[in-house]
Order: sequence, then C-alpha cells, then structure tokens
Amino acid sequence: MSPTARRSGRRRPRVGVVKFASCDGCQLTLLDLEDDLLAIAERFDIVEFPEATSRRSAGPFDVLLVEGSISTEEQLEELLRLRRESTTLVTIGACATAGGIQALRNWSEHGPWAATVYPRPELIESLAMATPVADHVTVDAELRGCPIDPQQLLELLTALVVGRRPQLPDESVCAECKRRGATCVVVSQGTACLGPVTRTGCGALCPVYGRGCYGCFGPRNDANVVSLIANTAGLDDSVASTRLAGFTAWAEPFRSVIDDHGGPPGAKP
Amino acid sequence: MAQAIASTNVPRWLPADQLDRLIDVLRADGRTIIGPTVRDGAIVLAEIQGAADLPAGRGDEASPGRYRVTQREDSRRFDHAVGPMSPKRWTFPPRAPIRLGRRTSAGVRFSGVDPRPTPRPTPLAFIGVRACELAAIKIQDHVFLDGPAVDGDYRARRASAFLVAVECATPTSTCFCTSMGTGPEVTTGFDVVLTELDDGFIVRVGSPAGVTVVDALSLSPADGSAMKAAEAVVAGARDAMGSPMNMENVHEGLQASPEHPGWAAVAERCLSCTNCTLVCPTCFCTSVVERSDLDGSISTSERTWDSCFNEGFAKVAGGSFRPLVKDRYRQWLTHKFSTWWDQFGSSGCVGCGRCIAWCPAGIDVREELAVIGGVGPVPMPQLSVVAAATEAPVTISPGSVPAAFVTVHVDGSSRETADTMTLHLSTTDRRLLAGRPGQFVMATLPAFSAAPISISRFRSDGLDLTIRAAGPATRALTELERGSTLGVRGPLGRGWPVEEMTGRDVVIVAGGVGLAPLRPLIDACLAERDALGAVRIYLGARTPTDRLFVEEVGRLALRMDIEVEETVDRAGPVWLGRVGIVTQLFDHATWDGRNAVAFVCGPERMMQATSEVLFSRGIDVDRTWVTLERNMSCGVGLCGHCQLGKFFVCKDGPVFSLAELGPAFTTDGL
Repeated sequence: MSPTARRSGRRRPRVGVVKFASCDGCQLTLLDLEDDLLAIAERFDIVEFPEATSRRSAGPFDVLLVEGSISTEEQLEELLRLRRESTTLVTIGACATAGGIQALRNWSEHGPWAATVYPRPELIESLAMATPVADHVTVDAELRGCPIDPQQLLELLTALVVGRRPQLPDESVCAECKRRGATCVVVSQGTACLGPVTRTGCGALCPVYGRGCYGCFGPRNDANVVSLIANTAGLDDSVASTRLAGFTAWAEPFRSVIDDHGGPPGAKP
Repeated sequence: MAQAIASTNVPRWLPADQLDRLIDVLRADGRTIIGPTVRDGAIVLAEIQGAADLPAGRGDEASPGRYRVTQREDSRRFDHAVGPMSPKRWTFPPRAPIRLGRRTSAGVRFSGVDPRPTPRPTPLAFIGVRACELAAIKIQDHVFLDGPAVDGDYRARRASAFLVAVECATPTSTCFCTSMGTGPEVTTGFDVVLTELDDGFIVRVGSPAGVTVVDALSLSPADGSAMKAAEAVVAGARDAMGSPMNMENVHEGLQASPEHPGWAAVAERCLSCTNCTLVCPTCFCTSVVERSDLDGSISTSERTWDSCFNEGFAKVAGGSFRPLVKDRYRQWLTHKFSTWWDQFGSSGCVGCGRCIAWCPAGIDVREELAVIGGVGPVPMPQLSVVAAATEAPVTISPGSVPAAFVTVHVDGSSRETADTMTLHLSTTDRRLLAGRPGQFVMATLPAFSAAPISISRFRSDGLDLTIRAAGPATRALTELERGSTLGVRGPLGRGWPVEEMTGRDVVIVAGGVGLAPLRPLIDACLAERDALGAVRIYLGARTPTDRLFVEEVGRLALRMDIEVEETVDRAGPVWLGRVGIVTQLFDHATWDGRNAVAFVCGPERMMQATSEVLFSRGIDVDRTWVTLERNMSCGVGLCGHCQLGKFFVCKDGPVFSLAELGPAFTTDGL
C-alpha cells in the first residue's frame, strides 16, 4: 500500500501467519522483532497467528506469511484454499521455500521408513515427498533461511506498507563476510564452506565464528556448486553430498549435485 | 617545509624495543592506531594499543586459494606480506550512511549530501603499510578526490590518515608488485617509512607531518652497517618475486578480446562470490540500500560495498546487462587491468595478490592475463558502422557536480501512455534550470531508491520529467499529484552536442519513450531553426497508444519547416499512419546525410539498426549521437554500476557519438 493510500485512511492490511510441516521458529521471528512489534501491530491487522494468539480468523488475507513444507494431502488442500483467500502470499523459511530438512526423505523409500519408525505405519498419512510451497501455488515473495532473518522480515513488511520493492539481495554469504571483516575460513583454514554458493541474509553468522556455511538460506542465482566442490579447500566429492544435504538440500542446484553424488547419506533405513 | 624535510631526511635508528615510543607519539595526537595483528588465523588489520599487539615472530604464506599464518624464528613484527584487509576498510568503509530523507508537512526533505561529508572522523594512523597499499591509496585518492565529483566522506577520512609504511622483506607467492611497478620499495605517498632489522628500524620521513612525529622521537642517525642491511632487505624482496610479467600488451589485448574463449573457461571455475573485488584495495563499486520506518516517512540511505560479480549489479528494468558470469569476470579483469587506464590514467591493479590468495576457487589473475590478455587481438564480428568507429579518448564532463537532492514541486502531470507520465516541476534551483538537452537527474522519494530520469523539457521556472513506471520506485514517482514534492539531483551527465547542429541538416530518430530526452533537443531546433538546414524527425512506437507527446508531435507535423514521420510496430483500429519498424521510414527517403548530424534514442537494438541505416545514408560515426540507458545510481562516476567498457555512462555520457563508443556499442554483456 502506498503512503498516499495509507494516509487517506484505508484500512490496515489483514495479515495471517500460518504453518505447515515446520518447527515454528520462523513465525516466532515475528515476535522476536520486539522493538518494532507495536509499530507493526499498528499498521497491520494480524488476524491469524496461532503462535501468538488463540483468536482465530478465516480469510481473506491481504498478506499471508506461510511457514513449512507441504507434507500431507490435508496440508496441500489447506494451502490451495489459503492461496485463493490471499492477495499476497509470502513463504518464510527454508521449509516453505526449499522443503526444509524433512525434504531429505524425498530421496528415500517412504514405506520402509514408516515401517521402521512407527509401530502402526498404516496410520501415517503423509505424502511421499515434502515439497516447497512454490511447487503447488504461486508465491509472491519469499524469505529464505533456517530460521529467517528478523531484519529481512522487517524489511519485507516495511516494503509492503511503503509500496516499494523489498531489498533482499541475491549475493553470496562471502559479500557479507567481507563487509564484516571476517577472515575466510576456506582460504585460511581449509574449512568446508557453502558461503560462495549460498544466498546472503544471515549476516555471515557461521563464518564470523570460524565455521563454514551450512547453506541455511539456500542456493543463490548463479550458484556454481560444481566448481565449489572441484576447486575449494575442505570440500571434495567424498563430503559434498553430506555438506549439501541440509536445510535446503531439495533446492536446485543443490539437489542435482546431491543426486550426482549418489544421494544424501543414510537415505535407506 | 620542503627544506625542513630535507634537513631531517637523514635516516634515523629506532631500537626494536622502542617501537612503542612511535606509537605513543601518534596516539598523543588523538589518533587511533590501525596495524597488523593475528586474529582468526590471519594477519588482519585492526585497532592496536601498542607494539605488543603486532605479529612478532609471525609470518604468512599464500598461494591461489590458500593462506596460512606461519611461525618465524626471529621476532620481527612486519616480516609478513599483506593479509585480507587493506586500509580501504577505514578510508572507504563497507557501510556508510550518506543521506537522510523525511516526509514533512512542507514536503519531502533530504539532508546530508551524496556522498555526505561526515562530522570530522576520528583521525587514524596506519602502521605497517606496504608499497602496494600506498599505490592503492593513491589510486583511490584519484578516483574519489580528483573530480569531477568528490566523495566528501572519503576526503574527510583520508585527510586525517597518517601513514607509517614498512619496507617489504618477505613477499608471498601471490605477490606481483614488481610487475605492476608499485614495489617492493616504498618511494612515495607515506609520512614515515620503516625498514625492519632484527634489532630495530631504519626510520625515514616523507612528509611535513612525518617530520613532526620523527622529531618528537629525538632519534640518532642510523649507522652505515644498518643502512647496508636495510638495502639488502628490499633487494631480497624484489628477488623473491622473480622476473616481472610483461604487461605491455595487456591494455590493448584485453579490450581487443571480448570474445576470447578464455572468459568462458574461467567462468566455469569462477564462483562469482565477490571475494576478489572485496579484498581488492582499489575496487570502489557500491550500492545504496534504503532503510525506513514502517511509514516510509523517515529513511536512511546507506552506501555499501558492492561488486560487479553480483547479478543485480548491472540490472535495469529490462534485465541485467551482464547476465553471464563470463560477462562479469570480463568486466572485472578488463576494468582492473585495461579500461582503468582510460578512465584514470593508471592500472587499477597494484599487484598485492589478495584476489589470488582469497579466491576460494584459487583463480590466479596472472594466469588469466597470460591466457586472455597476452595473446593479442582476437577477431570479432562487427557491424560496418562499428568497424568505421575510431578510438576516441574518454572526455570528462566539465564543471562541478551537483551532490545534493533538492526538493522540487509538482505543478501538475500529464498522462502520456498507460505506464508513462510527464511531471511538470517547478524549482528555483539555478543548476537544474541551467541543464542542457540530453542531461538527466536522479529522482527520489524518502524510502525509495533513486532512479535516473531524463529531462524532457526545460522551462524558465522548472522542468519536465517523463517517467515510465518500470518498478515500484518509478511507479511512486508517476503517481505524484499536483502539490506534492520529490527530491531531484542534477543535472547530470553530458547532454546532446547542440552546437553540432549549426549549419547542418538534423535527423532525430526516437523509439517509444526514447523521445523524452530528445524533446529538449527538438525545442533547441525550433529556437535555432534559422541556423539549421533541414530538420527531419522520425518516430517509432510499439502501438499507437505508446506514442509520447501526441498533440505536440501533431503540431510539429503541421509546420512547413520540419519533416515529421511516424510509424508503429502494430496498428490499432484507429491508426491510419504507417506500420513497421522505425528504420523502414528511411526506405523511401531521398536525402543525403553527408552534411547531417543525427540524434537517436530508443531501445539499444533499435539504435544499432538505425545507426546502420544512417551510416549507409552518409552520416558518419562522429555525427551520429545516441543516448544509452544503464543503471545509473550515483550519477557522478563513483559507484561503478553504469560502466560500459572504458566509460561511466552517467558522467561520460549518457550521450555518445558512435565514434566514441566503438565496439562497446554492440558487444553483448559489456
């Protein structure tokens, strides 16, 4: 909504926060915006947010924040309904945008796993694959990360109110690493790091503490994973699929490279 | 003062255990000391408290994609090469606020200038600066301080910096300063230079400030044997680097090889991760990030380090000008080693080797230069119009450059097409009113990024901006109503060479919204009509509803002294005019272009095709002028976004003759 529209007294946008297969960590990020919560509540009418309020509401929604991957038939039906009731649908977090850690099961036989884990596997009603929301419905914007970054969430909400394009750059984690003055762990220690192929947003959290990047924000455009494995220290063919098989494994090109390396470790029960 | 330096310029001796005396003198002047120290497995630069923080007894080794701190047998503090950081981090910090925007009851207001001279920053002293880094500082001084635009933030930080250089003793395998002519010996650009021996330092001064500091130490002269040992230090460093590379052909070689297969080969290894550019001590590309409160009524514009390796760096509404990683690697290497000479009169590389060591994939620019830059020109397909273009030197736009956004008022607006509006603005800003046809402004609202907009008319009390809503920022501008305000910075760039028209026939060709920057030129034609030969205007648009300034063009067409021809790509039910692309308007023309000057604006493919036709009608490449669209951001040649070969489109253009552009006009991904 443009500032002009807001000042002319248009109603506050109705916001819903919903989840599918996920841990709730991303939606809690909204509550972590402590300094800005009052201002957000003044400008948005948060009508559906089970983690924050027992007040429930049906749509329609001007803005719907969707957490989690689609893991059951019931979730898929719910998602299709919510899409029809939402003007702007934003996926939040690695599960919703890339399938999440649970998408590792996509490489394995669903039946044998269920039989190994559950005493009565016939009661389990899950789809064979855990998939990102964008596989099923049109997504208007996405916030990456496991979990999402509070400042990126605030930027998205601000951009929605002001009517501008949210500034969510598609650059490598390295760019932020360098701006922060962190020393490259690949070059100085030979540590495996997905930073060069991973989208920024976390503020280079792991490299700043001397660890390699785990790819929580998923592959950026132009992610040259093949060269990363072939040419950087700490990574080689023997550990590539282990490193890539994390929170965003199902996102291309990570997925194809994992395939080329025989799938994630432990794909069989 | 020069005499004072001379009289004091006797090498002095500072015993190793008295290095803190030098640091104390620098601190007594209120300076923060930045020096090398070991942190996180590297010798980095950081604020140090005293000599104890320096990496005594530590060295380093580096090779492509690999760097390690080593333990040495002596306890020298500076016997290492360069780490990942350079003084750039302090003189040109990764993030700097440059502007504040506010919506007030009296309209939008912008404070601070762009770039903003900050309040006097804390004075700094760098200790341990190498010859290559002094060369890098000199290069950035030239970029930021020698105009036409001056970066006030850099100026303030740089003015306070005291430089204690150190002679290099042990280069790593990635060092190649001898190839770039920047080292290893320290020759210029320092305040004090040290040569480290086991038991102390030879101290020499290089500036009046250096004299003051060294005088305060009351040191005795260095003895002959120490001087001899010091000479051996530098000679040893030079020998360690081996024979310098032959860089003679690199300038021409790189620019002549845009289609070399080596670019695609290196792109297969390149991660486009930006590390090379961010560790480079001379790279200066930035972007502006807008932050605002939830209302968009208060915003901060922050300048951040950016890189030509990012996909978004060369993005405009229609996509990226460098979509492929090979385009971006080519831009970086060519800029650094070749077009930098055309822009700034020096190489952009100082041979520090950081881009080699800190490339996670271990790409070595020296090898790429040997493959791509050393092989000489590779033939490339060219339009005949380009083959005729000759090398023209880059011209610097004269005069000072507007640095601040001024508030201008919207008197009204006219809808041109479904997505394009003309804003009629009033202002008393004399610089804006004195703009020339073809120049542009940066236009902005608080919380929105600034957009380059061409000026479509000058009036005595204001100007018109014709804006196409290509994204949220431009859409917000097109939605401005009478009585509202916006921020405008300009006029920027080099406009149409109006004086070239005198005594000549004039041909003006516009495609779609490209008529906007040509309208002030048409105004100039009308004002000078008697001094010109024939005036012919050719206009193309996608459909009849995409035509700009329809009534005005209709009135022009009725004049007996101007010829106007229009065409549309696709006709609608009410269109009775021609249908076809704009170049087809020339099919039946009988005029001879040998005494004509042409001005063309439209989509780049349309301008290329039109230029070809004009050339075939006798209008030579130095008399055909085009205006280019790039993602101008700073508008003054300091952010790097709009580079096209050796040009900064924002300040060297946006208007160019085909002769000036040469192959840059038709090379994809440049």
